[in-house]
Amino acid sequence: MADVAVSVPARFNPWPATVFVALCILAALFLAPTAGVLLSSVKTTRAIALGDLWSVPDRIYLENYAEVLFNPAVHRYFLNTLLVTVPATVASIALGVLAGHVFAKLPFRGSNILFLIVVSGMFFPPQVILVPLFRLFNGLGLIDTLWPIILVHTALGIPICTLLMRNFFAAVPNALREAALIEGANEWQVLTRVSLPLSLPALAVLATLQFTWIWNDFLWPLIFTQSDDKRTIMIGIVNLRGQYTVAWGVQGALSLVASLPTLVIFLFFQRYFIKGMTMGAIKG
Amino acid sequence: METQNRLWRVLLLALPILVFSVLVIWPLLSSFYYSFTNWNGFNRDYEFLGLRNFAKIWTDRLFFNAIVNTTIWMVAALVLPTLTGLFLALLLDRQVRGARIFKTVFYLPICLSAIVVGQIWIWIYQPDWGLLNTFVKLAGNPDFNYAWLARPDSALFAVIVAWSWQQTGLSMVIYLAGLTSIPSEMLEVCEIEGATAWQRIWRVVIPLLTPSTVVVVALSMINSLKGFDILYIMTGGGPFNSSDTLAMHMYNESFKKYLMGYGSAISVVLFLIALTVIGVYFRQLRKVDEIYG
Repeated sequence: MADVAVSVPARFNPWPATVFVALCILAALFLAPTAGVLLSSVKTTRAIALGDLWSVPDRIYLENYAEVLFNPAVHRYFLNTLLVTVPATVASIALGVLAGHVFAKLPFRGSNILFLIVVSGMFFPPQVILVPLFRLFNGLGLIDTLWPIILVHTALGIPICTLLMRNFFAAVPNALREAALIEGANEWQVLTRVSLPLSLPALAVLATLQFTWIWNDFLWPLIFTQSDDKRTIMIGIVNLRGQYTVAWGVQGALSLVASLPTLVIFLFFQRYFIKGMTMGAIKG
Repeated sequence: METQNRLWRVLLLALPILVFSVLVIWPLLSSFYYSFTNWNGFNRDYEFLGLRNFAKIWTDRLFFNAIVNTTIWMVAALVLPTLTGLFLALLLDRQVRGARIFKTVFYLPICLSAIVVGQIWIWIYQPDWGLLNTFVKLAGNPDFNYAWLARPDSALFAVIVAWSWQQTGLSMVIYLAGLTSIPSEMLEVCEIEGATAWQRIWRVVIPLLTPSTVVVVALSMINSLKGFDILYIMTGGGPFNSSDTLAMHMYNESFKKYLMGYGSAISVVLFLIALTVIGVYFRQLRKVDEIYG
């Protein structure tokens, strides 16, 4: 067995090479789905229908991207998604900062229970609050506007933002806070001038996570909007499937364009993204 | 000082707690309330049905079907992403060349939306030119055009595989974080004592990864209860409700048939299942903390 070779250092060790090859094969399998979409997006519908999807094209066909990028409906979807994602990301982080500071630096009787209740909010299926929220926003006349989506994402972001901010703030030494208080600073100044500047990585983590989740969301815009000019990009993908039924290349281009903002964020801020994922998961 | 602290607590907590209560806690509680009514989603008025919605659940063939499918999904979620994630993490933990690139490749799907993931996998399963059938054809079955997503036998599993593809990265990340907490001296001692690589993994590494396993399993189960978007785009719960889950069934009853009272009753059941999973998770987490913390 190869195992024997591992325990005898002098001999040739086949493990690194085996692991490397295995990883290459797995990576190729993992990338194949995405690569397929990429390939299809630069091919004509005819080429795909003839079964030529999975070959490398000899000529890059960009018409699919032109079709997507010059479609006014797509512009509208993008704008709506931004109008939802940016405010909801900022608001949920702001609220998480406020609550996180109290839970980290000003604990009180019952604050642990309250914290647990808030944090457990991130585990429940959203279906559980669907009907009452629909009734609430229907009664307020806000159905088919972007407001309910922004508000709900702000609220649903509070658990993860509070959790991460509390953990980061807890790591800020108490001595710093006490020194600031002795100097005459109030709690607000402690939070904004001492704790926050030391927690910029946490803000980066939350910004990447929240932006990605809200951008990618499908359920809430599905429930709260009806007219096409209020839809977000993920609903847009589904809507445009009808328009481009067999135009697979256009569908592929659209999927890639719709994923571009989150892909860029992921590739540039991967460190923060992963940190948020593991922190949110483990400390929960 | 203490009075000041009290004031700041109220000032700082007011807004987050207000928003959270109005948009999460209150709707959660009113779901229970609406589950006793026949509200149809449009009229202001509704009647009280008592427990009739819950009685209907027992006779609803589609509800039973959704429970079965959700269970299948949860069990598959328990196994598939956990095993693949663990396997990848173990491979990547040794400092292989290009480990960073490999990691990026494996967790890239996490940042894609379920809609895009669904779209991608629809093409993999496409009967005529999809990747899967292309492989089967190359393997010597030229007329193979099985429609994976259009057959009741395979639709649910096809979606689960697509979903696992996306979840694997998350499990891998958690396992990798867990692996860094295993002291390398411990493994060296095992090696000196004559343990084979196989024994080291099975007897030392995997048992020491128990805290990570608890997290991975719980997260996968919780996420599987939320699974909706990917089903919506890939199968819509079909064909013949063969891939209908509780989340999907709840949506259909509430927003397709406008039986919002009955939909709320289903969501109450969904809530209770989620509560059980989360309860067990928190308990296990505490137990793990006592042993390993």
